[in-house]
Amino acid sequence: MSVHLLGIRHHGPGSSRHVLNALSEIQPDVVLIEGPPEGEAMLSWATHADMQPPVALLGYVPDNPQQAVFYPFTLHSPEWNAILYALRNQVPVRFIDMPLAHGFAIEWQETASNIDTSEFTEQVRKNPISYLAEIAEFDDPEEWWEHRFEIVQQPYEVFEAIAESMTALRQALPERNDRRGGDRRGSDRRGSDRREEIREAFMRKSIRIAQKEGFERIAVVCGAWHVPALMHLPKQKEDDLLLKNLPKTKVESTWIPWTNDRMAFESGYGAGVESPGWYMHHWQHPDDHGTLWLSHTAHVFRANHVDISSAHIIEAVRLAGALAGLRGLSRPGLKELNEATVAVMCMGEPLLMKVIYRELIVGKAFGQIPEGTPQVPLQRNLEALAKRFRIKIIPEQKTLKLDLREENDLQKSILLHRLQLLDINWGTMEAVSGKGTFKEEWTLRWYPELTINLLEKAPWGNTVDEAAAKYLENKAKKCARLDEITPLVQTAIPADLPTALGAVMRKMDELAATTSDISMLMDAFTPLAQVSRYGNVRRTDRESIDLIMTTIFYRIIAGLPAGCTGIDDEQAAEMTQKIREVNQAIQMLEKQELTEAWTTTLRTIFHSDRTAPFIQGYSCKALYDSRLLEMDSTFNAFAKALSPNNEPSASANWLEGFLNDAATVLILDDVIWDVVNDWLQSLDDATFLQVVPLLRRTFANFSNVEKRKIAGRARQGKSGTSSPQTIDIDPQRAAQVLPILELLMGIK
Amino acid sequence: MAQNILRQAAEAQFAQEIEEIKKQDKHTRPENWLLSPHAVVTYLMGGKLGNGFDVSPKYIGNRRLMEIAVATLTTDRALLLYGLPGTAKSWVSEHISAAISGDSGLVIQGTAGTGEDSVRYGWNYAQLLSAGPVPEAIVETPVMRGMKEGKIVRVEELTRIGSDVQDSLITILSEKMLPIPELNTKVMAVRGFNMIATANNRDKGVNDLSSALKRRFNTVILPVPETIEEEVEIVQQRVASFSKSIDLPVEKPILEEINRIVTVFRELRNGVSTDGKTKLKSPSGTLSTAEAISVMNSGLSLAYHFGDASLKADDLASGLIGAIIKDPVQDKIVFQEYMETVLKQRDGWKDIYRACREII
Ligand SMILES: Nc1ncnc2c1ncn2[C@@H]1O[C@H](COP(=O)(O)OP(=O)(O)OP(=O)(O)O)[C@@H](O)[C@H]1O
Ligand SMILES: [Mg+2]
Repeated sequence: MSVHLLGIRHHGPGSSRHVLNALSEIQPDVVLIEGPPEGEAMLSWATHADMQPPVALLGYVPDNPQQAVFYPFTLHSPEWNAILYALRNQVPVRFIDMPLAHGFAIEWQETASNIDTSEFTEQVRKNPISYLAEIAEFDDPEEWWEHRFEIVQQPYEVFEAIAESMTALRQALPERNDRRGGDRRGSDRRGSDRREEIREAFMRKSIRIAQKEGFERIAVVCGAWHVPALMHLPKQKEDDLLLKNLPKTKVESTWIPWTNDRMAFESGYGAGVESPGWYMHHWQHPDDHGTLWLSHTAHVFRANHVDISSAHIIEAVRLAGALAGLRGLSRPGLKELNEATVAVMCMGEPLLMKVIYRELIVGKAFGQIPEGTPQVPLQRNLEALAKRFRIKIIPEQKTLKLDLREENDLQKSILLHRLQLLDINWGTMEAVSGKGTFKEEWTLRWYPELTINLLEKAPWGNTVDEAAAKYLENKAKKCARLDEITPLVQTAIPADLPTALGAVMRKMDELAATTSDISMLMDAFTPLAQVSRYGNVRRTDRESIDLIMTTIFYRIIAGLPAGCTGIDDEQAAEMTQKIREVNQAIQMLEKQELTEAWTTTLRTIFHSDRTAPFIQGYSCKALYDSRLLEMDSTFNAFAKALSPNNEPSASANWLEGFLNDAATVLILDDVIWDVVNDWLQSLDDATFLQVVPLLRRTFANFSNVEKRKIAGRARQGKSGTSSPQTIDIDPQRAAQVLPILELLMGIK
Repeated sequence: MAQNILRQAAEAQFAQEIEEIKKQDKHTRPENWLLSPHAVVTYLMGGKLGNGFDVSPKYIGNRRLMEIAVATLTTDRALLLYGLPGTAKSWVSEHISAAISGDSGLVIQGTAGTGEDSVRYGWNYAQLLSAGPVPEAIVETPVMRGMKEGKIVRVEELTRIGSDVQDSLITILSEKMLPIPELNTKVMAVRGFNMIATANNRDKGVNDLSSALKRRFNTVILPVPETIEEEVEIVQQRVASFSKSIDLPVEKPILEEINRIVTVFRELRNGVSTDGKTKLKSPSGTLSTAEAISVMNSGLSLAYHFGDASLKADDLASGLIGAIIKDPVQDKIVFQEYMETVLKQRDGWKDIYRACREII
């Protein structure tokens, strides 16, 4: 009976090659692999014809899918190759790591004493073979394999050597970092230490079980770091003690497609690999000394409009070979190939390598899993929908242009909106020019992690439709303030969720009734008006929306005049902004009843002496704009508001409210021009001097071009078209005003 | 070679090093190479030999760049050293030639006036008139000699040479052959022949290389020193060898001054003070390491010949200002700002500040 410990570097093609050699030499009758036992049931899928790495085994807690872990595998992962070997040779294969059921349930305490295990130790532990390669002065740990084990006779000699080095490493490392020299078995060791210990105890336990079952040749494939812990099995009792009464939680697992650029992530198997594309190449073409790789490189450059000839490739292959020779390597590694590429193809400029890095060194490969792999219903529904709409769920960026008048496109849009609502941001909507058009443009890109969000929402329903509706209803139910629920309306409409929308509306009504905050009500009103006017909603929905919109509207006008009193300048400016929005919404709605009520309210605000001057100025302007105020009254209002008896700051605010953003009005509207002009002329010198600073403040907001135009008009005096009255002008006196006007406008 | 020569060629100055390296060299040598590629890199980067002999570093920086440069010359592609002024392109080119061919003297100095006859071959017209086109009437160029003797030929400032003359290099580099139609013969390059050209980033566009010529070169860009430590080391080394060559005694505080000069250069180059707190404008010049070296060297000579032989801020100021202020108006403003916001405020730098103040 023999146990063969094959210590590997996760995802390392060198490890893979040696593992495969060793396996065919050992001819094991059981293969034990460092992996979560919960995934075992999924292993048989690995040999399915449609299974295309990179893929990941995903383990998650169904009640809380954010607790999840990925075990990525790609073509050159040693674990993957060991699994395939076992399945193809009908040898039982088992995952022997700590069950995720415990891993998720135990609270691993990160105690404060983390000087215990330094970052350095962590690094070495995660990737000990990289560390060995580093001491041997190799940049790439995979090169190190080749170099170090070129001459071994027996495949498993490699792993004996690895085991020895690991034993030495494990002995040396703790001392190196135990600065306090205390007893490392003390109770305050880090959570990660304890975790490692329990994991290794589990692995030993599985080895013992295999032995007891009578397997003769047991092959264990695990991260090199663990080998020493599995070499000599301690008394079973010790391990049992360690594994007693561990808490548990429910765990499920499934396969999901993975991508090369995510192979670099640290998940499941600790450190990722930075150049999966290069390793894949290395794995598939072990004899390539650079010719093939550099041809691919040239190809990518050409696709990106960089001129590369075959001669370039030849020269780069030569230089890479020469560099390898100079550095005593048996063949060029990625570094040499990159350097040759830069020197020969890029004029020494490494910037161009970015595209090679993205497309080749990392690579754009993404995996695929067979149809029928166990999935949660929500996941299955999404795939069915995607299939029906012929959109591929792939990690590639794609633009989708939709014309919402087409039923099919409309359905796609609804699906994407529902997913957004569920925080599954597969698609992001791009701004399309022109409001109210029927066009939508989406950028689609699937990320493997979105699966987690999907699993997280799985409890809400078995279909996207159902899950989105329930999720939204629940969200609405939890809203405690009007401003929380307002945004939900806009997400609910395009997602076409009538029942959920009903729930949102009811809740909105409820919250509006208890809200005394006018500005919050106004915030709620505007989007509702938008939806009512333009929203693509069913008639029944529109009725209910209109009903609530109207209710909210009357709540607003009931409280608004009072809301415009007793507030400071800043609040007044904010309030004005909101009133302006409501004003626009009312005009857009074209509902006579609402318009009349609104006008009355504006008048009330305008006439009330207690209204904040800024708002009063604005309401004057709004009424004038709607032709509800005669020129005379406007003039009077001006005179009154700006009369020298008032507080200067109040006058300034009034004027600002009136002219806010309205330079164009002043330039183009003869009536307003004349009102301002007449009013200015009516001032006696002393008063004029008093109001100059106020005016400056208002005009300061205008752009230089606007100021120049206004000054131009001022030079011409009265508009001459609008007003029938004529005023006797004394040109000489008038001219005297001009310099001051110029000063006022900031022209001089 | 005579001892009183101002600046010896690299192969003469480092003859002993080359000799020692050669003795220890166990790697195979390409034909007509004095040393193996491996040994050439050792010569460039320095290090201890098997017998304990210390080789001084010539290039201070990334070893990989030197490996790429040397490896290039083993594949019969020519080498183009490219980069900002003063990044040791010429220096590296000279030392590589010295270590490979034992001769760094086959040089063409590229200028706008460089004609084809200084690249290919010229004629001795007296001979030509009296004897007609005979081999004796040919005036050999460094290129021709390099081809015949299997040596490295250097072309300095390649991009300053006119495009048509540049193009005459294409045949030489790809065919390894130089036809002489007048004699109905040709010179065939002997193994070991190759070319190192240098060109300057800032001159880009002057006579940009044609793509046909580009394809004959592998390009290595020499960067400005990454860290202040590296840069100080470079300056220190060159200053030390300069002092030796003009018999100047090297004083202790020199290292401190080097540190200050390099700091000033780096701060102005990077547009920010070392502590990262003060944003600075950069002057128009490149402020290369090479200029830092010459500021130090001229300071040392001043101190030696006109001062009391100990280096003072006054000795450095004029060189410093000369290196920084290339544009009398703009650069002056830049430097004045720097003086007020950085030099003046820094503890222990008042002497430099005052010395500069006096000149500006
Ligand atoms: N990295 C470095 N290592 C060693 N010496 C350096 C380094 N950088 C600059 N130098 C020194 O700078 C000096 C000038 O370098 P060199 O004349 O070779 O510059 P260059 O790149 O050819 O500039 P140009 O483009 O102006 O011709 C040399 O004396 C060299 O010793
Ligand atoms: Mg030069």
